[in-house]
Amino acid sequence: MTLIDELRLLLGVDRVLDAAVELYLYSRDASLMRGEATCVVFPETTDEVSTVVRIAEAHRVPIVARGAGTGLTAGASPTEGGIVLVTTAMNQIEIDPDNRTAWVGSGVINLDLTRAAEPYGLHFAPDPSSQSACTIGGNVANNSGGAHCLAEGATTSHVLGLEVVVAGGEVLLLGGKAPDRPGLDLKGLIVGSEGTLGVVTRALVRLLPLETDVRTLLLDFDHLSGATKTVSDVIASGLVPAALEIMDQKMTIAVENWLHAGLPTAAAAVLLAEVVGDPEAVEAEAALIDRIGRENGAGTIQIARDEAHRDTLWKGRKSAFGAVAQVAPDYYLHDTVVPRSRLVETMEEIQAIADRYQLDVYNVFHAGDGNLHPLMAFDASQPGMMERVHQAGEEMVAACLRRGGALSGEHGIGLEKRDMMRAGFTELDLDAQARLKEVFDPAATFNPAKVLPQGSRCFDFGGTRREIPDGAWI
Amino acid sequence: MTGGVESGSDHVAPSDIDTLAAILRRATDSSSVVQVVGGGTRQGYGSPPPPDIVLEMGAMADIETWDPDDLTVTVGAGMPVAELEATLATRSQTAVLPEVPGASTVGGVIAAGVSSLRRGRLLGTRERVLETTLVTGDGRIVRGGGRVVKNVTGYDLPRLVVGAFGSLGVIATVCLKLWSTPPASATVEIDDLEAATKVTRPLAVLEENMAKRVFLWGTREEVAATSARLGGAITEGHQWPPDPGGPFRWSLRVPPALTSAAIALLPPDWRYLAIHRVGEVRAASEDAAEAAGIRVWAEENGGSLVVVDAPPGGLVGLDPWGAPPAGLGIQRRLIAQFDPGRIINPGRLPGGI
Repeated sequence: MTLIDELRLLLGVDRVLDAAVELYLYSRDASLMRGEATCVVFPETTDEVSTVVRIAEAHRVPIVARGAGTGLTAGASPTEGGIVLVTTAMNQIEIDPDNRTAWVGSGVINLDLTRAAEPYGLHFAPDPSSQSACTIGGNVANNSGGAHCLAEGATTSHVLGLEVVVAGGEVLLLGGKAPDRPGLDLKGLIVGSEGTLGVVTRALVRLLPLETDVRTLLLDFDHLSGATKTVSDVIASGLVPAALEIMDQKMTIAVENWLHAGLPTAAAAVLLAEVVGDPEAVEAEAALIDRIGRENGAGTIQIARDEAHRDTLWKGRKSAFGAVAQVAPDYYLHDTVVPRSRLVETMEEIQAIADRYQLDVYNVFHAGDGNLHPLMAFDASQPGMMERVHQAGEEMVAACLRRGGALSGEHGIGLEKRDMMRAGFTELDLDAQARLKEVFDPAATFNPAKVLPQGSRCFDFGGTRREIPDGAWI
Repeated sequence: MTGGVESGSDHVAPSDIDTLAAILRRATDSSSVVQVVGGGTRQGYGSPPPPDIVLEMGAMADIETWDPDDLTVTVGAGMPVAELEATLATRSQTAVLPEVPGASTVGGVIAAGVSSLRRGRLLGTRERVLETTLVTGDGRIVRGGGRVVKNVTGYDLPRLVVGAFGSLGVIATVCLKLWSTPPASATVEIDDLEAATKVTRPLAVLEENMAKRVFLWGTREEVAATSARLGGAITEGHQWPPDPGGPFRWSLRVPPALTSAAIALLPPDWRYLAIHRVGEVRAASEDAAEAAGIRVWAEENGGSLVVVDAPPGGLVGLDPWGAPPAGLGIQRRLIAQFDPGRIINPGRLPGGI
């Protein structure tokens, strides 16, 4: 039987797509890198996923798992062909309020989980800007962060267990509600592995109590260093706010033109800070941020009057990337991290790089953890533009690495940064990573050619790995 | 106690990573079993064979980088936890490592996967390790993760190293995520656990045989208000309890909601320190008579009962770890890639690995 016939026998005709227009729809994620799948499947159960894996292995085609396709690094683009496995039909939520956990299908949308948990007084802490679209499976694959992960940690800190289908269609149930499951933490290795070790079908996540009170502050500064110094001083005072986000002037203007949220467009930098907790706590903490902000030259300080005002302030931050769409038809955004003490000099260099390439760069970033998102807005139809954008982007990432930073804070490596991995790791480091991949996926079925550059495996002791020629499946 | 440092073996104490690599390469070539020792406080796990070489990490104990603004510190694995925390405290920071560490080292705490009593609020050791540099059994120097508080760059090797008992390599240096210590703290005694629910997210709710206490920290205003709300005797600051001591030491791990049920199941002469809202109960006893029954209950409820230490021959048929974890085959194959001769701390892990 052909691959498609076998899959249709398992899933039915409706849940296996192979028409050209359908394949085109699933040919990329939110990045600009496209692939071409043989088919797109929509399994509903773990058993079905297990069988799809066995079928793929028998036909020697890769599987690219995909949630909502909001990823920005081509992690879910089927660049090596094969099967795109869409998780959205695996969308069960099972909440255990006593243990403050939930078993969640990998296709559940991040915000839907929090909404389902709210009646129990609980929520899911990781909140990427795309939370109204992105799925838990995608969050697990990329160890997604969000504005609130400074205080609470990224997705990996909230995943207690995983159900994952690995090579041979084997279903592993890893971790659990009890802490410190004996043995190696395979679950922790799978989080952030970008679908290259197996297909996650369900996740057991930690839920946190809804905060009883919250204060959201918006501070404006006439120099970026005032904003970053405020962040440093707040943390040095012993306070770790739930969120500390900075937008530069260009971004603030773009957002304000679009949203009319009353943002201070004359300021060089805007700091959004949020503290959560018991009422006594947030009152004192907000006062502290206010005082430290003034000491560092804050102009006006807005404190959200009510929930609607808070939503407006946050909407400005969370829709920043959308706002850029009205400035230029295309944008490209990098996700890097620097030690927080090097934020100001890094931002200055990023601006200098953009100037050198005559590109517009907009900045909005998670200041508490030094996670930058320099965004270049441009018109890709201009000749030579994409080359300039890519070149400038690589220089920006290199500028971060030179300061002791990391290649990615929360978007992952995917294909976009795969070949930059050599800048951050030695051959032996990458070889060790390639060994991890080989142990899980000797036939290179799961999202091949992502994360690790070709030839990462520097010593081959006659393992079972087949060398996969580029484009063998398409 | 079985937990000790073997005396009839060769002792080595490398002071740099290249020497460490050379020692391990030679050990692999000669199939010599290596016991890695930090402070020597957690040598009772699993059932290891007698070592040929005792590798002491005390000479690799420098603070490599610490910029308080970055909320990270990078240290040699042999750094004593107490010394590191004392240094960090001078700038009101903490690495959120165990509060009563004795002689334990940063590397030892990570290898054994032991966490702070504050883990319910600030998360466990696994969430705090940002970067590790390992030396594998065959002498490769392998770095994973990064020295920033947040990163997704390749596989999360640091997380896998936590609780791996050196099976992926000897930890040479680690970068830890730090936390700022707020100005005020208090401890409140409570009679009834129900009272603890009056605070949304306390730093810790601990129960010992004779006491239940809520640990708080924050701004002065917050600590004053929340401690008053709890309604018990208030002490300023934190007096953290040590783990219970005895010939048999246990780690009982259950879903958080079963913490009280787990305590109720312990024989009356067992001493315990339970972390509510986490599901971790540290216990000690004079014998192992009732352990098998407790383990059955824990495993039926998705938990485990782990032997932390026991006298020689004291376990009579009781496995140190209990039911083998899922994916044991993958675990073995992973370890084979990092310690092909299986020379580093063999026999420490579940399944006799």
